[in-house]
Amino acid sequence: MESDVAPGDTPTRRVSRTSANDRLSDAADATLASRAADGDVAAFEVLARRHGPLMRVFAAKLLGSDIESDDVVQEAFLTGWRRLDELDDPARVRNWLMRIVSNRAIDRLRVRRVHEDIADWDPAAPPSQDPSRIVETQLQLDAVWVALDKLPTIQRRCWLLRETAGFSYSEIAEALDLTPATVRGLLARSRKFLLNELEAWR
Amino acid sequence: MTDPRDHAAPPGDAAPVEMIDGHSVDELDAYLAAGRTPYDPAIENSAACLLYLSALARLRERSWDALTHEAENTPDRDELWITGLLDTIRDEVRAGRDIPLHHPDPAIRLTLTEAAVHGLIRAAADALDGVLLSRTVLDGDITQPGAPISLTLTAAIEYGFTVVDRAELLRATVQSALTQHTELAVTSVDVIIEDVYLGRDAAAPGGEAAS
Repeated sequence: MESDVAPGDTPTRRVSRTSANDRLSDAADATLASRAADGDVAAFEVLARRHGPLMRVFAAKLLGSDIESDDVVQEAFLTGWRRLDELDDPARVRNWLMRIVSNRAIDRLRVRRVHEDIADWDPAAPPSQDPSRIVETQLQLDAVWVALDKLPTIQRRCWLLRETAGFSYSEIAEALDLTPATVRGLLARSRKFLLNELEAWR
Repeated sequence: MTDPRDHAAPPGDAAPVEMIDGHSVDELDAYLAAGRTPYDPAIENSAACLLYLSALARLRERSWDALTHEAENTPDRDELWITGLLDTIRDEVRAGRDIPLHHPDPAIRLTLTEAAVHGLIRAAADALDGVLLSRTVLDGDITQPGAPISLTLTAAIEYGFTVVDRAELLRATVQSALTQHTELAVTSVDVIIEDVYLGRDAAAPGGEAAS
């Protein structure tokens, strides 16, 4: 490492204006996860603040419920904290947490399935007339939600697990009690629908 | 109890696979998910495939952007669950191994936990400028008084500081803190600098150029 920095290339500053707290807030995920694995609560707090909001939105979309998502995310971070020594690559802590959030959300869905015979095969909403007119950023972001919300619940779940949490087909199948072939079909249809809605793809 | 999904298969499950220039969309999806590696010339040289890949990549990016954007715009709800989380995990910090401390009265057994030593090392390192400690590994039988211990510290340095200088300062500071507060026989301290970060003044717009 030393040889990478030639003398004179980078003048030694004696004082940094970056405080210890700022340093932690700005630190890379890998650094924070390593420190957290060594028992540093403050480092884990920074991770929770940094990634918690995204996890919560994701959980809410997956569950279709804003109310349960807080609990799911809190449980997931707690599980993450307890299992930090199982995290192989600290730089991938976000993906790792995302998977834990997904699994906790799936547990909730399982419990729910016992109670309600959900109409998972609710029909897709009719496609938009002219998606190509959507140009402005906020509108584009809204369009993503509008399109995702038009998907049947089961397709939306498959899509989110695949694209956001990085689950494989067989992992999705296991999580949602489907066959891998069904998952493949559902993903193909959701992809086609979303490409059509958002990218005006045929 | 039978799962209704078993026989209520959605329509179109056996629908013909959509093909683009001789490649199924499933194959293209998997290729994109794998980061377009290993390089497939048959796909990369097909205009239709490239169009499909770029539409799919944009779709993915937009899904992520939408999630991120919504997350950024609803920050107020976080304080509650984060506070609850931190209260719980503070009680759960694993103590780790017990490290013996000498006491003149043989009837008294004094120990320091491994977690406390990690905390001590962090506190010493965090008091330094221009370096951020990441991982700490204590190698050796710390439960035996006088057993040789080797310590490995992984850290990042702030852009603008000299690596050798910070590494040496970190090493010396941690070693002296351990000598002062523990009885560990530290025989070596290795420092690995694995990353460089930008300080706030360098990262701020109009601050010291850092690129």
